[in-house]
Amino acid sequence: MNRLSSKLVELKNTNQKALVAYLVAGDPDLDTTLELMHLFVKSGVDVIEIGVPFTDPIAEGPTIQRAHDRALKNDISLKMILDTVKKFRTVDKETPIVLMGYLNTFISHIDMVKSADSNSVDSILVVDVPGELNLETYGISNPNINTISLISPTTKEERVESIAKNSTGFIYYVNLRGVTGSSNLNIDEIQKNIARIQQYTDLPTMAGFGIKSIEDAKTLAAYSDGIVIGSSIVEMIDEESLTKEFGRIGKYLREMKTAIS
Amino acid sequence: MASDNFNFPDKEGFFGEYGGKFVPETLMYALEELENTYNKLKDNKDFIDEFYKDLSAFVGRPSPLYFAQRLTDHYGSGSIWLKREDLNHTGAHKINNTVGQILLAKHMGKKRIIAETGAGQHGVATATVAARLGLECHIYMGAEDVRRQSLNVYRIKLLGAQVHPVDSGSATLKDALNEALRDWVTNVDDTYYIIGSVTGPHPYPMIVRDFNSVVGKEVIEQSKDLFGKMPDAIVACVGGGSNAMGIFHPFIDIKETRLIGVEAGGKGVATGEHAAPLNDGTPGVLHGARSYLMQDEAGQVKDTKSVSAGLDYPGVGPEHSWLKDVGRAEYVAVSDDDALKAFHEVTELEGIMPALETAHAFAYLELLMKELDSSSNVVVNVSGRGDKDINTVAEIDGIKF
Ligand SMILES: Cc1ncc(COP(=O)(O)O)c(C=O)c1O
Repeated sequence: MNRLSSKLVELKNTNQKALVAYLVAGDPDLDTTLELMHLFVKSGVDVIEIGVPFTDPIAEGPTIQRAHDRALKNDISLKMILDTVKKFRTVDKETPIVLMGYLNTFISHIDMVKSADSNSVDSILVVDVPGELNLETYGISNPNINTISLISPTTKEERVESIAKNSTGFIYYVNLRGVTGSSNLNIDEIQKNIARIQQYTDLPTMAGFGIKSIEDAKTLAAYSDGIVIGSSIVEMIDEESLTKEFGRIGKYLREMKTAIS
Repeated sequence: MASDNFNFPDKEGFFGEYGGKFVPETLMYALEELENTYNKLKDNKDFIDEFYKDLSAFVGRPSPLYFAQRLTDHYGSGSIWLKREDLNHTGAHKINNTVGQILLAKHMGKKRIIAETGAGQHGVATATVAARLGLECHIYMGAEDVRRQSLNVYRIKLLGAQVHPVDSGSATLKDALNEALRDWVTNVDDTYYIIGSVTGPHPYPMIVRDFNSVVGKEVIEQSKDLFGKMPDAIVACVGGGSNAMGIFHPFIDIKETRLIGVEAGGKGVATGEHAAPLNDGTPGVLHGARSYLMQDEAGQVKDTKSVSAGLDYPGVGPEHSWLKDVGRAEYVAVSDDDALKAFHEVTELEGIMPALETAHAFAYLELLMKELDSSSNVVVNVSGRGDKDINTVAEIDGIKF
C-alpha cells in the first residue's frame, strides 16, 4: 500500500487524528527545507505537504504567495524538490509526503512525475484541476503516487460523489471561501460539509485553510480525520529565516499534535 | 446571439486542445452558475433586445467603418478602413463586453462587481456600467500599470469604484488577474467577476467573444455597403485577444478575408523581452485556461515587456491559440518603437489618436500594404483612443508637464 494510505489507515485504527504540515520548497533554501522536514516529523507531524512554488499561485493568500516568490528567487524547480525528497528518504522512509502545486509546473515535468519510484513523494494535489477531472488525463499518473482532491464549501452535493471517486489519498476539505491564510472559519458549516463528504467515501477527510490557533485545530479535528496547517508555519519560517532557529515551530507543532490527540 | 458559423467551445469549454476550466474548486460552482445563466439568456429575445438597446443608446453603436484617406495615400496601395471602436462611450471596445456582462450580473442578482485591468480601459468600462446600475465595484490593477495609466485610475475613482493596486509578481495585468481571482474565491456568493478579455476559465472566453462579436458583424454589413465585398484582410492588436476575437469571429467562415493578430513585440521578439506568446510561447495553463503562454522550462510564467499596458500579458485567449494552430489566423508581432512611430503617424495623418495597443495593429500596415495588391481593402480594428497614453508618450518623448 502507498505510504500515505497506510499511514492514514494506521492513524484511523488507533483513533488518532493526522497532523499535516505545509511548507514551500526552497523557502528560504532547500537545505533549510530538508532540515524543517525532519523537524516537522520530530514534532509530531504525520504527513508533510510540500508546496511547489509557482509564479501565479491563485489559491494562496499573501503569506504563502511571498514564500513562493522567495523560493522562485532561488530558481527552485520540481527536479530540485524531488532531489531533496530523495535526501530526506535516506533518513526517513516512513513519513508520507504530498506535493501541492499548480498544473503548469507539473505538466512541465511530466517525465519526472511518471518516473518517481516508491522512495519519493507519495501523493500529488493539483490546486487548479477540479476534482472530478482525472489527473491521468494530464499525464500525471504513477502507480506509486496517489492523488488528492479538494472539496470546498461551494461544492454541490452531486459533485461530491464524483470528486471522491477520483481521489485516492484523502479528501482535502477547504474550510472557507477564500485563499490560504484567511480567517473566516464557520465551524457549523465545516462540520456539516465534512459529515456530508463522509457519506460518500471511506477516504479520510482533512480540514485545511484558515487553521491557526490551537483552539481551531482542536475543534476541527473533532469533525475530521486530521488538519492541515500552512500559513502560520510559513510565517514563522520567514521570521526565523535569518537566524534559522526553528525551535518555535517545533513547539507550535507539538502543541498542535497534543491538542488534536 | 452566438454565431452559428463556428461551434467551439465544446461542452467542457475547449477550443481544440485549448481552454478548459482550471480553477480552484471553490470557483467551480460560480462558473457553472454563470454558464447556465448565459446559456439560458443568450438566445432570449428580451435579453438580446436589452443588450442591443444599451449598445445603441449608451455605447453609441454601430461604430463607423471609416475610410482613412491620408493613411491610404501614405502607403500608396490598397484601401485602409478603420473600424472606429475608439468612438465608443469610454473610448474602447471594452465597453461592449461590460455592457453585456453587467446584464448577466443583474440577472444573477449579484451586488458586488470586480474586475482586473491593465491599461485601465476595462476598469473604466466596468466602473461605468457598475455606476449605471448602482453596484459596488472593485478594480484590481498592477502597481506598475497604476503608475503608467494614472489618468484612467482617476477616471475609475470618479466613477465611484475602488482601485486596488497589486504589488505581487510583476505588478502588471497578470498579477491583477491573480488578485481578482483571489477576491472572487473569497466573495464568491455575492460577487460577479467581469473578466476583460477572451481569457480565463470557460465560459468567459466564449461570453466575452460573443459580446464583442457585434464588431465583426457590423463590419460584414458595412463592407458590403461601402466597398461591395468582404475585406481582404482584418488587422487587430492582441493582448488577451478580445478586440481581435470580436472582429475575427464572424469572419471565421469567410475564407477570403485574412485575419491578422498583432502581438506586442516589446524590445523585439528575438530579445525575449516582449509580450507575444503566440509568436514565442508554448502551450501552458494560466488563469484557468490552457493556451499559448510565455513560460520557462520549469513551467514558471515569464515577465513580459511592452510599452502598452493593455498588451503586457504573458498569455492569450484560448481561441486564438486554436486559430493559430489550424492556420485560420496569422499572428505577428511589432516592437515598442514601431508601435510608437505608428502612434504619431496615425495621429498626424488622420487626426485620430490611437491607443498604444491599437498602434501595434497600425504598425503592421507597413509590411502588410507592401504585400497586398493595390485593389485590397484592409480593415484595422481601432480598439481604442490614445488619450490615456498621453503621459506615457510624453515621458518617452522627454516632455514634462
Ligand atoms: C484600447 C485597447 N486595445 C486593446 C487592448 C487589449 O485587449 P484585447 O486583446 O483583449 O483586445 C486593450 C486592453 O486594455 C485596450 O485598452
